[in-house]
Amino acid sequence: MPNNDSKSEDQKSAEAEVEDFQDDLGPFVVAAETTRMAMVFADACEKDNPIIFANDSFLELTGYAREEVLGQSFNFFMAHIDDEAALALIREAFEGLSEIDCEIHYRRKDGSKFWATLFVNPVKDDDGDIIQYFASFVDLTAYKDEQAQSRMLINELNHRVKNTLATVQSIVSQAARGNTDSQAMRKAVETRLFALSRSHDLLSREKWHSAGLVDVIHDALAPFGAADERARRVEINGESIRFAPKAALALGIAFNELATNATKYGAFSSDAGTIRIAWTVEPSSTGRRLLLVWTEKGGPAVATPLRKGFGSQVIERGLAHELDGTVQLDYRPEGVVCTMNIPAPESEIE
Amino acid sequence: MSDLLSGRRVLVVEDEILILMMIEIILEDLGCQSVTGAASVEKAVSLIESQVYDAAMLDMNLGGEDSSKVADALSKRGVPFIYSTGNDRRDMTERARDHAVLYKPFREADVIDALTQLLS
Repeated sequence: MPNNDSKSEDQKSAEAEVEDFQDDLGPFVVAAETTRMAMVFADACEKDNPIIFANDSFLELTGYAREEVLGQSFNFFMAHIDDEAALALIREAFEGLSEIDCEIHYRRKDGSKFWATLFVNPVKDDDGDIIQYFASFVDLTAYKDEQAQSRMLINELNHRVKNTLATVQSIVSQAARGNTDSQAMRKAVETRLFALSRSHDLLSREKWHSAGLVDVIHDALAPFGAADERARRVEINGESIRFAPKAALALGIAFNELATNATKYGAFSSDAGTIRIAWTVEPSSTGRRLLLVWTEKGGPAVATPLRKGFGSQVIERGLAHELDGTVQLDYRPEGVVCTMNIPAPESEIE
Repeated sequence: MSDLLSGRRVLVVEDEILILMMIEIILEDLGCQSVTGAASVEKAVSLIESQVYDAAMLDMNLGGEDSSKVADALSKRGVPFIYSTGNDRRDMTERARDHAVLYKPFREADVIDALTQLLS
């Protein structure tokens, strides 16, 4: 903006007017200058309503220096100066006719844009004529950011709900295919829904950042009595490691299916069987990998099933598909052994 | 109408195994020759570049990642495809214009109809 030499006559007269104005309204001007609300006074009598006073908060909000603002048209920092709808709103505000919040898109000196609510009070002289407009601006940046954030969260929630419904649909349709008996079908659906629900509980507790592997295993095994009398028959051995939500969910589903199989045919189907879950994290050419072995012992003699059920497929394919891992399910006579090799987080997830 | 699908090789790009398994069963019941699953953009693109498919079903969102690179790879190889999504119908303007979209959860009949139209 102009230096002193190039100041127009208009600018000089506007500034003179501001000085008069400050003299007239001394204490009030001090208050307006120090408030955190961005404020300006504009001349109601001149064309384009030049700004004759701007407080520090206004300068902070818009990034301009005071001399760049004084004498400028009231609308000089609109983001779109030809926005007819916004101009109409401002005219209504000037006339004191606004019935809705007057939200205007403005532009800072650095070119960045922001929304602000404009409040205008016409200032009248003794004859009742409007001589000035007293305008204040409430920055809506934080509010608009919050709105965008909440829209994003709603979309994300909607996406998750729809995917979960499709997952449930899959669980039901596979249970219907695999079981002719309605009781068995109900049980198959229930077990898996509860496993999904527990995995969600775990992640909710952790605010959907990550979940510890030990917790994932405990939560998956809990409904199979692993928390009480079977606890002493389960050995968990491995360093604490945290997985992102997607991996934690996939692992939860896999352990639930392993425990279901163990309860039906394996180590948990007898009084003496044991399950050992042990893992290490190893470096590899494709980054760190989790190598986990689930070993059942002491249960009834195991025979390889003739047909791979839904559960075995989920165990073998789930982690392979969702996490780009490899999973091997061996039906050894002395007990089932499941070997998992999946990518481990490169650095500790908080 | 299922004749259209019999003997076809279909790529299903879907990151959740349970949903993939359900789609596989539907497609196998229709007589598709092969159903291949892919969970990530990277895996899907490498399959599209190395294998031949008659049709594909593509989730718009793969583990938080937008799948438009997979759509580009399919278009480049001339593989017709339909989208699947957990997104809201209102958000689907751009991409839904050129391709049928199945909104999760979808019915078996919706899958059959969409693929039949795609291949006829």
